[in-house]
Amino acid sequence: MKSVQFSVTSRLAGDAAVIYPKGYLNSLSGESLVNECGIYIGKGITKIVVNFSETGLINSIGISLLLQIIEDLRNIEGTICCTNMSKFLQDTFEMLGLIQHMQVFPGESDALKYLNAKTV
Amino acid sequence: MPFHPLPAEDFLNRENELDYLKGLPLLKESALGGNVFLEGARGIGKTELLKQLYRSLFWESGTVPFYYSFKTANLKGTYFAKDYFTGFVRQFFSCVMKEPSIVENAAEPLQRLMPVIASVGLHWLVDCIEDFREHLNSNDIYWQIVAAISLPATVAQKSGKPVMVMLDDFDTAERLYESSLGDAHGLISLFGESMKNSLCPHVMTGSAGALESIFTDPSLVGMTERMQLGPLPEDLAVRLFKAHLANLKIACAPAGQLKFLAILNGNPLYIRNLAKAAWKMQKKELHEKDLIECYCFEVSEGETAFYWSSIFGRYVQSPAKRRGLLKLLMLSVENEGVDDGDRLVSGLYGTEERAALDALRASGVNRGWDPVLRDFIRCLYMKEVEGRRADDVREKIESNYLSEREDSRFELVIPMSSNAELVVAKAVEQIGRNMNFNADFLNHLQLALIEVCINAIEHSGSYEKKVFLKFITKPDKLEIIVENSGRPFSHDSRREIPVEESLRRGMTRGRGFKLVHAIMDDVKIERIGNRTRVILTKNIDERIVEPGTRTL
Repeated sequence: MKSVQFSVTSRLAGDAAVIYPKGYLNSLSGESLVNECGIYIGKGITKIVVNFSETGLINSIGISLLLQIIEDLRNIEGTICCTNMSKFLQDTFEMLGLIQHMQVFPGESDALKYLNAKTV
Repeated sequence: MPFHPLPAEDFLNRENELDYLKGLPLLKESALGGNVFLEGARGIGKTELLKQLYRSLFWESGTVPFYYSFKTANLKGTYFAKDYFTGFVRQFFSCVMKEPSIVENAAEPLQRLMPVIASVGLHWLVDCIEDFREHLNSNDIYWQIVAAISLPATVAQKSGKPVMVMLDDFDTAERLYESSLGDAHGLISLFGESMKNSLCPHVMTGSAGALESIFTDPSLVGMTERMQLGPLPEDLAVRLFKAHLANLKIACAPAGQLKFLAILNGNPLYIRNLAKAAWKMQKKELHEKDLIECYCFEVSEGETAFYWSSIFGRYVQSPAKRRGLLKLLMLSVENEGVDDGDRLVSGLYGTEERAALDALRASGVNRGWDPVLRDFIRCLYMKEVEGRRADDVREKIESNYLSEREDSRFELVIPMSSNAELVVAKAVEQIGRNMNFNADFLNHLQLALIEVCINAIEHSGSYEKKVFLKFITKPDKLEIIVENSGRPFSHDSRREIPVEESLRRGMTRGRGFKLVHAIMDDVKIERIGNRTRVILTKNIDERIVEPGTRTL
């Protein structure tokens, strides 16, 4: 598993924001992920896709910070989609009881298609 | 009940001795015997036997029991006389009134008891107290001691009831003195008159072989029989151990897995201490390996270590001399006997160390060298002479007993600094690869370890600022031990919090151990002194290894 220095990048895809967390997702990096999402939510974006393809090691605090994003989106009736999750990541989210609070898709395009359809 | 004996059902295998001692007043009255010198290894249960005898006589017979421990006594003549005298008055009156609180309430001055004593018609006892007070006022040390020691015999004559005098660690009385240590050899012989009294059977405890050396009057030796208190047989030792565990709510492996208990040599003190160690280490279930762990804690840092350490402290006080003595003892231990040790170190040590060793020998401490005492000495030697850390010492002793084959063992120490857990993750990744773990399980294993390390780093508040990890790989399982000093786990950190509640309360923490439990097969959390130890175990099966790599 990759454990490179954490960084977070993002892009806008239509009316959705796609976030790319990269590296070790712990408490500090989890906060920068939350901040990145917060910027989009602040701009009125209600659809967020988190692409985990580059995420390395994780810990429970890092994952749990996603709860904050879930809660922020819930308050504005938004949606969070998680994509490109390894089996390990999915298992872990499941163990923590997070999986039922998000939409999970194999790839980023699947999530964007779903969110597009939701608008229509 | 004074002196808090064990519950009768947990006092095993001493019925014959107890019955015999209860019959002593009759034997003494008919001049068939009457004084007993109770011998046996330390911790074998001599004091407990006296306590049981006391309880039995106090409630069930016409004999007045009197117990005095020289173990804790102040041996300066004036203090001793006052302590012995007032102790006897309280215990006698307590027995007459069948009121244990009279003994327990030692802070109440004797003077305040006198009107009550007089009110029940014991005017002769009031006279004895007055006489003793006169000896005190005239500062007559000799008569204070004589009056105190002869009081049981006097009371037996006046009351017509036999008095059973129980003198615990009696050989210590040889060191009674007037104003400075060693200034009045032979004060112990003042007990002779009391011991000859036909209404006063005496039961004394002491180290084996001490009897001849404490009495100069051969007639006293002649009228005192020896009773040897042996170890508990193996089955009863197991029964006693299980009884202690049951009281502490610890589940126990079947008897077959308690073979290691044999090392305690049926010694009730060791058995009790080992059960308590299991409780202190927060064991919920005890198997052979846990027993070994608890034992190693006991002989290095537990109550057994404290017990032996305090006995050693009596014979040698200065740290330098203590180290010298330890070197001598260690040689004896490693050479299976003091004589070999003597030969090897001849001429190398000072007279004081040798004198301390002789005193230890005379006290019977190192007679027979039981395995527990040997291990205690090894531990003390490693700590005080070699300067090793307590956990290192424990481990060394443990490795002597762990017969299980360990394929390999890796150790790692990380600082409590940010991202240090990543080093652990990297290490376990390689260890896991060596064990052919599949990538999915490897990730889970890394996560579990990261969680435990973060918990140690963030919550322990340790000044040591280090986390110690040990990976033990065996053909059928992986065991990871994570240890750190500092605060123990709080119950909150182990409580499962539902996601909904976390969302509501904005909580992002408190889920780590849920993950750890889900990933590992067994998670044990123990407390050893001020250290917390988490033991993670994963059984190896085909679900977690690469296909085709596991051979059974």
